[in-house]
Amino acid sequence: MSEKFGVKVEEIFGTMPERFRPEAAQGVSASYGYDIIGRGKWKLSVKDGAMKVEKTENLSGCVAVTKADPDTFVGVNIGKVDGTQAFTTGKLSVDGDLMALGTTTKMFKKYVPPKKELSTREYVLDMFGTLEKRFQPKAAEGLRMTVAYDIGGSEGGQWTAAIQEGTCKVAEGLSSEPTLKLSLKARDWVDLMLGRVDTMTLLSTARAKFDGDLQVAMKLGEIFAKYTPPGEEVKEEQELLVLKKVISVDQRFATGPVMGKFLKGLKEKKILANKCPKCKRLQLAPREVCAECRVRVEEFVEVGPKGNVRMLEYTYFASPDPLTGRTRETPYGSAYILLDGCKGHEIFAHYIRPDHLDRIQIGWNERKGTIVRPVWSEERSGSLYDIKYFEIDE
Amino acid sequence: MSHKKKNRNVAVIGVGQTKHSSHREDVNQPEMVHEAVRAALDDAGLTMDAIDCVVHGNMELFEMIHQPDLWHELGTGAYGKSAFRLTTGGTTGTTLFCAADILVASGMYDVVMAIGFEKLQEGNTTAGITNMADPLWARNLQTGALTGTCAYDVIQEFGEERAKRASMMYRVIMDKHAGLNPNAHRQFGLEFDQIEHLMESSAKLVGELRIIHMCSQSDGACAVILASEKKAKKLSKKPVWVRDHITVHREETFNHLGYDNRYPLDKTHKVAARELFQRNGIKKPLEYFDVFEMYDPSSWWGLDWIRDFFMLEGDEHFKLVENKEIMIGGKMPINPSGGVIATNPIGATALIRPAEAVLQIRGDAGPHQIPTPVKHGLASGFGGTMWTVLIMLEKELGW
Repeated sequence: MSEKFGVKVEEIFGTMPERFRPEAAQGVSASYGYDIIGRGKWKLSVKDGAMKVEKTENLSGCVAVTKADPDTFVGVNIGKVDGTQAFTTGKLSVDGDLMALGTTTKMFKKYVPPKKELSTREYVLDMFGTLEKRFQPKAAEGLRMTVAYDIGGSEGGQWTAAIQEGTCKVAEGLSSEPTLKLSLKARDWVDLMLGRVDTMTLLSTARAKFDGDLQVAMKLGEIFAKYTPPGEEVKEEQELLVLKKVISVDQRFATGPVMGKFLKGLKEKKILANKCPKCKRLQLAPREVCAECRVRVEEFVEVGPKGNVRMLEYTYFASPDPLTGRTRETPYGSAYILLDGCKGHEIFAHYIRPDHLDRIQIGWNERKGTIVRPVWSEERSGSLYDIKYFEIDE
Repeated sequence: MSHKKKNRNVAVIGVGQTKHSSHREDVNQPEMVHEAVRAALDDAGLTMDAIDCVVHGNMELFEMIHQPDLWHELGTGAYGKSAFRLTTGGTTGTTLFCAADILVASGMYDVVMAIGFEKLQEGNTTAGITNMADPLWARNLQTGALTGTCAYDVIQEFGEERAKRASMMYRVIMDKHAGLNPNAHRQFGLEFDQIEHLMESSAKLVGELRIIHMCSQSDGACAVILASEKKAKKLSKKPVWVRDHITVHREETFNHLGYDNRYPLDKTHKVAARELFQRNGIKKPLEYFDVFEMYDPSSWWGLDWIRDFFMLEGDEHFKLVENKEIMIGGKMPINPSGGVIATNPIGATALIRPAEAVLQIRGDAGPHQIPTPVKHGLASGFGGTMWTVLIMLEKELGW
């Protein structure tokens, strides 16, 4: 039952509360479902910058349900599996709002599996094994001394470091007349070296004894570089900064007499096309010239308002609306509609009423598509949005 | 379309690319562009001193930087040289290539470097594409680059089962190619026995366009060096000749979706292929060309456009895909590089097409090299409102 990456599905959900970043969840009020194949279902609820996660069979009301096998789910969460790749190849699927996946990712710090700790004995051996390597000749310049380490208990041992002329030799056993002798238990020694406990605490509680030149004891921290456990060597890498910026620009576009007439028509609940004087084709939205005949097009005719659907873009992907920055409700549909009075390619593009999407039939050659009619906005300003959408004419 | 012959012959003498990926946060834009410039100069065995003019481009507004050529100057090496900036949406890369060709052919410059780049992670692609649309009305409806219309058309014509299978076959072939290309971005390791599963399991975007069908969003750059015949022969052991190219666009075709065979409509790919091949006396393009690097934004478009570009009839293009004839080693290898579905740093994407075709003709493509001799190459660009650019490349002069 153990997952490929040595991390259980339960650990991912169990650590969610401590990994939660309330600042990234401001204004989010939603539930997200997780269906981990063979392991059960979890529901994450986020509201007012707080969260709750529970194992439950009932995922109703979730804006998105993520489904994956345990290995894929764990792999994505600990960064061992590329999320986009898992999603693209269908190993991880999302039922509902796809953008939710991104939102929840931002709400949690990445899960870092706990490292397997060394035993006290392993630490002690590693600490003395690396002592020569950690010796800092510059800090020991001109010093000549021996330091004896008496590390008590079955996990301990005895070592002596002989320092002279900028060199350090570490040998097992205790030197008979050391400059300084440190005596303490193995576990306390390990804690001291890992920074979990300080010298003062150990001395004042009599858990450590320093015999000899205490001046030397004060210098040990400089003479030996700080101990780092295996695999945790500090890398002096440059942090690569990323600057985040948002720009927002007010714009004003003159519409001109041709487009202006079309937009004013919408304000008056009229759909106006213009007709090429040469080839007689209609243009919707109107254009200033007929690009094919290269002549000005000044004659307007009212078309529609009803028409038949020639193509429907049934959109599942909740892309953000760049005009508002808000995520669109999915599914939504944009349609190419042949309005009454138009023929061939003289189509008009607009949206379909969302709850009518599933009943729309697309026309093909002679076959007509579903007849639709515009639903006008209450407040109209001379914009394409003066039509809310088209709905089935019934 | 009136068209005159070039004043003088032009050859590609160097190409360079970055490794393409979804994140290049380790470098800034000029640094990333410089990687491609460096690679192209190394490929040509030249230093920046040999370059007379630099043509720079990307998809305008994707990173919301106006005139990035100013910022990029340290990376492009354009300082003190003639420089142009071009941007034509998705076709930018091929436009850069054509412009460099024209600048050399005109006699104005002997050696010109074209540079295309994109760092899609640094901006907002959907906002960029939406702002491409006419602000008076089309912007209210524009929703980025996703569309399911091509899938719908192909399904209408060939039936759901065959169409879905062929487009997924195309996708798996592209992934197999990408797996061989060390510079490709997405390399999934898809297998042919996954076709059935992927047809139903990959998440839907629009209609039958699923996420697996759609091109990636990549960071990357490409640079190509073009030179006059005299210079090319002096500087390069393997010059690849730019025979001819054509750009066809028509803003209105974007809006022309009447779906009625009583009102036939010429797509720009068809027009481009017809005109270009006619004026070059190519009667059977499928027989003539040895490689095609196609700008395929999705596997539905890739599948469908094979018919337009090679002037095929009926289901000939389906058979090419179904019989794996478009694979490396097949009758007409398409996108040995893995194509746009695998790698799409948009401003560089269309420049990578002729760059990859050049590598194939030279025999320098490495693991994704076509095993048989490649003499005649074709490369396309696609963008915005169905723009098409088509480029012919030759191994030998004297066509």
